[in-house]
Amino acid sequence: MSDASNIAKNVIQKIPAGIGGVVLLIIVVVGVMTSWFTVDPEEQAVVLRLGKIHGEIREMGFNTKLPFGIEQEYKVPVLRQLKEEFGFRTVSSNSRSQYQYGGNYDAESLMLTGDLNVADVEWVTQFTITDPKKYLFKYRVHDRRPQHNEAIMAFRDMNEAVMRQVVGDHTITEVLTSGRTLIQRKVIEKLQAMCKDYELGVRVDQVILQDINPPERVKPYFNKVNQAEQERDTLIERARAQYNQVIEPLEGEAEKSVATAKGFKERRINEAKGDAAAFNSLFAEYQRAPEITRKRIYLETMETVLNKAGRKIILDEDVSGILPLLNLNQEGTR
Amino acid sequence: MKQGAFAFGTLILLAILIVGFSSIYVLDVTKQAFITQLGKVVKEETNPGLKFKTPLIQKVHLFDKRYLEWDGHRSQVTTGDQRFIEIDTYARWAIEDAKSFFEKVKDESGARTRLDDILDGAARKAIADHPLAEIVRSEEREDKKLSTEEAQKAQDEDGGSGKGANVLQTFDVGRLKISREILSDAKPTLAEFGIALLDFRFKRINYAAVDQAKIFDRMIASQEEKVAEFTGKGKGEALKIGGLQQLEQETIKSEAERQVREIHGQADAEAARIYTEAYNQSAESREFYEFLTTLNAYKTTISKNDWLIFSTQSEFFQYLKQSTKKSE
Repeated sequence: MSDASNIAKNVIQKIPAGIGGVVLLIIVVVGVMTSWFTVDPEEQAVVLRLGKIHGEIREMGFNTKLPFGIEQEYKVPVLRQLKEEFGFRTVSSNSRSQYQYGGNYDAESLMLTGDLNVADVEWVTQFTITDPKKYLFKYRVHDRRPQHNEAIMAFRDMNEAVMRQVVGDHTITEVLTSGRTLIQRKVIEKLQAMCKDYELGVRVDQVILQDINPPERVKPYFNKVNQAEQERDTLIERARAQYNQVIEPLEGEAEKSVATAKGFKERRINEAKGDAAAFNSLFAEYQRAPEITRKRIYLETMETVLNKAGRKIILDEDVSGILPLLNLNQEGTR
Repeated sequence: MKQGAFAFGTLILLAILIVGFSSIYVLDVTKQAFITQLGKVVKEETNPGLKFKTPLIQKVHLFDKRYLEWDGHRSQVTTGDQRFIEIDTYARWAIEDAKSFFEKVKDESGARTRLDDILDGAARKAIADHPLAEIVRSEEREDKKLSTEEAQKAQDEDGGSGKGANVLQTFDVGRLKISREILSDAKPTLAEFGIALLDFRFKRINYAAVDQAKIFDRMIASQEEKVAEFTGKGKGEALKIGGLQQLEQETIKSEAERQVREIHGQADAEAARIYTEAYNQSAESREFYEFLTTLNAYKTTISKNDWLIFSTQSEFFQYLKQSTKKSE
């Protein structure tokens, strides 16, 4: 007994008076260090005092709080636009175009369309935290490791459910082509309503359908259809071009030949009129002195004719039978 | 003994602190609690803040107040129309009545087992009770309201397969209503366990591997059909245009030819009329015309190679024989 009391006495005696001061100093240091926090420009903070929401949102920059965890702050980036990706993950956030497509995310993006076909839909949902209190305290956001944020997990589940619901009301053709905008709009609408029901404290800003494809195995066949469609258009356009190339000049040609014919007609008539006028003048002359005019014309003509003829043979009317003596063949072909 | 008294005092202080701290606790905004005293519930706490209890004999049981996750088992199910699909569901729930929750299921993992049993079962049954189209479609389309007959017709035109490639399927209930029915059926059962169900939904529905291959084959076939259609249509359309070109070509050519001939005819007729008018004035003019034309013909028909044999009897050469005028 005396041993034990001696040991106790020794221990107590060996506690130097200075230790109390050191402990006090530690308490003060810890107290100071746990009595302030900073808020980034894009953030808002919610402060809990003894578990109860107390000071709501502090100013940006340096803020004070009660030490020793009596007051505890939770910060939320309310001014930052957050995004969740479905069917792919951006590898580097610096470059927007770097996407990683992997089989791992197929489960997120493969879905049934309203005509019971399969589409591979990849999308991004952009959102902002609008109610930090709900966002922080309605779901397990901060009490485990940061990757395990159940508000975000709920949001992702909602996204997948809503996208599939909307795509399930459209045909694959609509999903792949004309329906994009409509689908985006419908998804935003439904998601927003759900965020309210789920008390997520989040506002949906945008749903962007990134890449919509037929399933990998079927994709080449969809491409073939596009190709065939283009080939069809090319064939038709080529035929039309050929048509125009032939028909346009042909029409010109036709008009030209009609115009030529009309020209011919004019000429023919004018010639006829000229001939008629010439005849009429000559005939009038002739009627004044038929005998002599006739003779004159005859003689003038004969003059020209005889001038032109190669040989002239003049036979006396009294000499007969000379004809056989002429070597007509030889002379004639000379 | 001054030092000894100090040490004793410190021990007393420590004891007071321990007892003091065990009589207060902080209830976080995310938590709810009830207090048991020797196994019996004496108090329930739902509002956050600093709370007091009797030290040592009272025990605090803390439970979460937030919405909790439930992820359904991904499972293969056969639909009402015998198609194999894979479904994935989710739900969000909360502990509403901590006391019955603790009594009936003890903790969250106990609750999850119940949720698995009830929700997975209900989902599987709902899928088995409905054809696939009912599970895929949700809401009637405002912009594309097909009557049942129209849709049926479209499906028949699709080769009568009834599987309706590229045709929006018709439905009566739809996925949204089915999941809401599951939700409303599960709610009262779960309420007995102190659980409030916020929502239940189908997250993913896909064809099971076996059916998927079949569907892909069907999609490929349908695309190949489209290719054939486009190719055929292109050729046909081009041929049509070619034919039209041929027709137009012949029409334009012959029409022009017709006009040319008509105009030539008119020209000839008009010329003939003019000539006739001039030459046919009288018997004398007719004779004179004949005379002129004949003489003119001599000029044009006789050339250097021709021989002309005349008799001195001819009018032109009569003076070669005698200068006097022949008997008249």
